[in-house]
Amino acid sequence: MTGPRLHPFTLLAIAGTLPALAWILPPPVGGAWTAAIALALAASRGLRPGLWPALLTAAPFWLFLLLLHDVPTTIAIGLRITTMVASFVWLVAALEPARLVEAMVAAGWSASVAYLLAATLSAVPVLKTRAQRIVEAQRCRGLSPRGGIAARLRALRALALPLILSALHEVDERALALETRGLVPGIRRTPLAPPPDPVLERAARWALLLACLAALVRRLLVPSPT
Amino acid sequence: MSIRLLALIPVAAAISLALSAAVDAVALPLFLDTTGTILATALAGPGVGIATGVVTSAVNTLRNPTFWPFVVVQIVVALYAWVAARAGLFRSFRTAVPAGLGLGVIASVTSTPISYLVFGCTTTGGIALTTALGKALGLPPLGACFFGSFVSDFGDKAVTFALVTSVLHGLPRRTAARFPWALRAIGAA
Repeated sequence: MTGPRLHPFTLLAIAGTLPALAWILPPPVGGAWTAAIALALAASRGLRPGLWPALLTAAPFWLFLLLLHDVPTTIAIGLRITTMVASFVWLVAALEPARLVEAMVAAGWSASVAYLLAATLSAVPVLKTRAQRIVEAQRCRGLSPRGGIAARLRALRALALPLILSALHEVDERALALETRGLVPGIRRTPLAPPPDPVLERAARWALLLACLAALVRRLLVPSPT
Repeated sequence: MSIRLLALIPVAAAISLALSAAVDAVALPLFLDTTGTILATALAGPGVGIATGVVTSAVNTLRNPTFWPFVVVQIVVALYAWVAARAGLFRSFRTAVPAGLGLGVIASVTSTPISYLVFGCTTTGGIALTTALGKALGLPPLGACFFGSFVSDFGDKAVTFALVTSVLHGLPRRTAARFPWALRAIGAA
């Protein structure tokens, strides 16, 4: 397992570099290499959390590409999309949000930015559960989601409105909680346990950036044989 | 940015992502994934709206990485919603729905080059199928791509604008007054 030991910024740099190279390097060889690396990384997290989600997410794109394009174009674009999908699936499996927040705070990012990501990630499942409860409650009251478009739109309003209004009423509570915890914009916080960021990894991140720039310059200067 | 507006951003982003449960229940071909962006803009202005759009895209990307390039669309939506809020277009359905249809056109124009250049027009199943239909109708590749985006965005954005209008009018005045733009957006200030 390579993921947990790497600094969160290194994970992000790898996951960003692979799709960038997939688009910059000449197809199909460049895309084949980046897709192979990205799929290998995804597989390194295990079949169930890594490789299968990557393959299952990428598969429909290949199907639709074949529907819309010829085979060489399908292969060129399909390999790029596969690289992008596999890189992000690997990233999601390897990156712990709490470590990312700590790393961002340690790097001097505003705690507000870190809060936005962490709070959204935690709010989505809560609101989804509430939405499901509202759907069931409205059905108990006789709301029918069937019929013509007008009836369905009325049903949608009856389901969405309570969800959104209840969420907005929480904003004040959240603001009060943030104020109590001292999350005032502009104030720098001290990270409790910042992830170690070795010099080697910092150098590797710069190397990845330079590799992308070099590939881009080469692509612009040397015309692709295809 | 005040603490209240900071707290609004993740709530609005989560609204965009959680509305899929309501859409699934009524089985309509809608996304409503810009609801939070438009709502946050109408309540608190373009800065909060853009931040909501970017956070929505970032969190959506963790679910499906192909969403990230479309972050540009979220930013355009926030800017458009700001103009609509300044003009008080959320004051009634009669003004909000045409404004939403206008946004549908702008969103399609914005998303088409991204979809065409990055994904070869194969973003999601429904859009890819309408793109294939456009191709079967004899449209050129870029035209078919725009057709696919337009069919999915046009109605979606009109419904989203109508929904945000309902929310803004459903908010108690005292709550609405806590957000800097809410009353102006509904033409009450």
